[in-house]
Amino acid sequence: MKALTLIAILVAAAAAGMLVGGTPLPAAQIAWALAHPHASGVVGAIVWQLRLPRVCVAATVGASLALCGAMLQGLLRNPLVDPYLTGVSAGAAAAIAVAILAGASPAATPAVGFLAGLGAALLVAALARRGGGIDGTRLILAGVSLSTLFAAIVTLAVVRAQSGDYASTIVAWLAGSMAGRGWRELETVAPYVTAGAVLALWAAAPLNALRVGELRARSVGVGVERAQWIILAASSLLAASSVVLAGLVGFIGLIVPHLARRLVGSDSRVLLPACAAIGATLCIVADAVCRRIVAPAELPIGVLLAFIGVPTFLYLYLRPAVRSGSGVRG
Amino acid sequence: MIELRGVGLGIGGHDLLAGIDARVETGEFVAVLGANGAGKTTLLRAIAGLHPADGGAILLDGRPSSRLAPLDRARLVALVTGDEVLLDALRVRDVVSIGRFPYHRWWEWRERSSDEAAVARALSAVRIEALTERLFSTLSAGERQRVWIALGLAQETPIVLLDEPTSHLDVRVAHEILALLRGLTRAGKSVVCALHDVNEAAAYADRIALLGDGTLLAIAPPEELLVGSLLERAYGIAMEHVRLPDGRLRVFAREAVSASSDAHRNRAPSA
Repeated sequence: MKALTLIAILVAAAAAGMLVGGTPLPAAQIAWALAHPHASGVVGAIVWQLRLPRVCVAATVGASLALCGAMLQGLLRNPLVDPYLTGVSAGAAAAIAVAILAGASPAATPAVGFLAGLGAALLVAALARRGGGIDGTRLILAGVSLSTLFAAIVTLAVVRAQSGDYASTIVAWLAGSMAGRGWRELETVAPYVTAGAVLALWAAAPLNALRVGELRARSVGVGVERAQWIILAASSLLAASSVVLAGLVGFIGLIVPHLARRLVGSDSRVLLPACAAIGATLCIVADAVCRRIVAPAELPIGVLLAFIGVPTFLYLYLRPAVRSGSGVRG
Repeated sequence: MIELRGVGLGIGGHDLLAGIDARVETGEFVAVLGANGAGKTTLLRAIAGLHPADGGAILLDGRPSSRLAPLDRARLVALVTGDEVLLDALRVRDVVSIGRFPYHRWWEWRERSSDEAAVARALSAVRIEALTERLFSTLSAGERQRVWIALGLAQETPIVLLDEPTSHLDVRVAHEILALLRGLTRAGKSVVCALHDVNEAAAYADRIALLGDGTLLAIAPPEELLVGSLLERAYGIAMEHVRLPDGRLRVFAREAVSASSDAHRNRAPSA
C-alpha cells in the first residue's frame, strides 16, 4: 500500500513538474502532446524536448542520490554519511572548476566531472583499504580530508576566475541546477545509472544483514569485503552521474534515507525502492519550484533544498516525543 | 562435527594459541574456558571461518573451513555473539529473519514458507514467540541474548558456536539459556560455547576445553578437569573444590570461599 502511495505521489509530482515552465500550457495540451510524440508543433517540442527530459533528469538525480545515501549509510552504519562522502562531488567540482578556468568546452565539462568524480572515489577507496575490504572510519576520514583539499582547489579556481567570465559558470555548477539538461545528458549517464541501480539491488540483502553488525553479517554468509566494494562502486557511479546531470545537489542523499526509514522501515528490499521514489519526487518538486519561484530566472536547487528541507528535517527529528513507528530511532 | 588439527591462531601480529588438536562430536556440548585474553573468542571465530588460522586445519563435517564459500559455511556453522547497539529500530522478527540470509540468492527477495517456518522454530526454541513484534531496543539483556541465539538457530546449522552467551545475565536467565543449549545437543547439534563461569560449564557441558599458556591445556569431561590443577594453572589462582550433597563437584577461587560455604561443606554428607 505504501509502495502504491509513493508511486502515486511520484507520478503526481512528475505531472506537476510538466506543468511548470516559461510558457504556460494547459494540462490537456501537455497530455495530448505526451500521447502524440511524433506530432509537430510548439507544444510537442516544449513537452518532449524541454519539460519531459527535465523531469526525467530531476527524477534520475533525486533517485540516484537517495539510493547512494541509503547504501552508504547502511554500509558504514552511520546516519551522517551522504553520497558525496566518497569524494565524488568534491573531486568532480574541482576538476570542473579547473576545466572551466582552463577554457574547456562546455560540452566536455560533464565528462570531466564524471571521470574526476570516479577518480576521486577510487583514490578515497584506495586510502581506506584495509586487508581485502574497506575500513569505514578510514573511508570517512579519507573522504572528508580529500573533499577539503578539492574544495580548496575550487575556491582557488573561483578566486582566479573573478578576473574573467568564468566565476558565474563555476558557481552555477557548485550550486546545482538542471537548466539546459536533456536527453543527451540522460543518454550519456544511462548505462552508469543502470549499472548503479542493479548493483544497489544486489546490495539489498547484504545491507539487511549488516543492520545487526558486521560480525553477524559475516556469520550469516555475507561476503562483507565484496559488498563494500560493490556498494562503493554503485554509489560512485550514481553520484558521479548525478553530478554530470545537475552539478552538486546536496541534502537529498543525506535526508531522504532518513525520511524513507521513517515511512517504510529499514528493510533494504523496501527501503531502497522507497528512497528512489522519494528522492525522485523531492527533486522533481524542488526543481519545479526553483523554476517557478523567481521566474524567469531559476533558483539553484541546492539552495532551495537547504532552506526548506533542513528546517523540515530538523522539526521531524528534533521535536520532543517523536513516535517513530518502525523507522530509525530519533 | 568439528575437528581441529594443529591449529595456531594469532591476533594483531601476536601468537595467541598454538598446536590445538581437538574434536567435537555431533550432539556434543563443549564449553570453552580460559582466562580473559586466553583466546576463547578468537578460537570460536576461527572455527566459524571469520578469523584466519595461522597454521593447521579446521574441518567442519570433514570439509576444510578455510575453503568453504561464505554461504556454504553459513549453512554449516552459526556464531552467536554478544549484545550490540543497533542503529536501526528492528523488530525481533526482523533480527531473527537475518539468519535466513544463506538460503537466498541475491535476487530472491521474497521470504519463502520455509523461511517463515525456520524463524518460527527458532523463536519457539528460545521461547520468545511473544516478543516477535517487539522492538529489539525495548528488550532486556536476557531477552536480547535469546534473540541472538534465535538468529543463529534460524540458520539451521548443525554446528552452533556461542561467545559468552551468559555474560551480563542474572542467574536464572543464565541457567535457562544453558539448559536451552543443552537441549540443542539433544536435537543433534554440536554446541561449542565460551563461558566465564566454571561451574556453569561443569553443570551443562559434556566436556570442557580449557585454554591457557597459549594452547589447549585439556579437553575433558568436567569431573576429570575440575579435580586437577589445570584450572589453577589456566586462571592463575588457587581453587577450592567443593562436593555438593548430590555428589556433583564445584570449584571456587580460594580467596572467594566464604566461611558459610566452608560450613556448608562441613555439613555435607561424605560421598
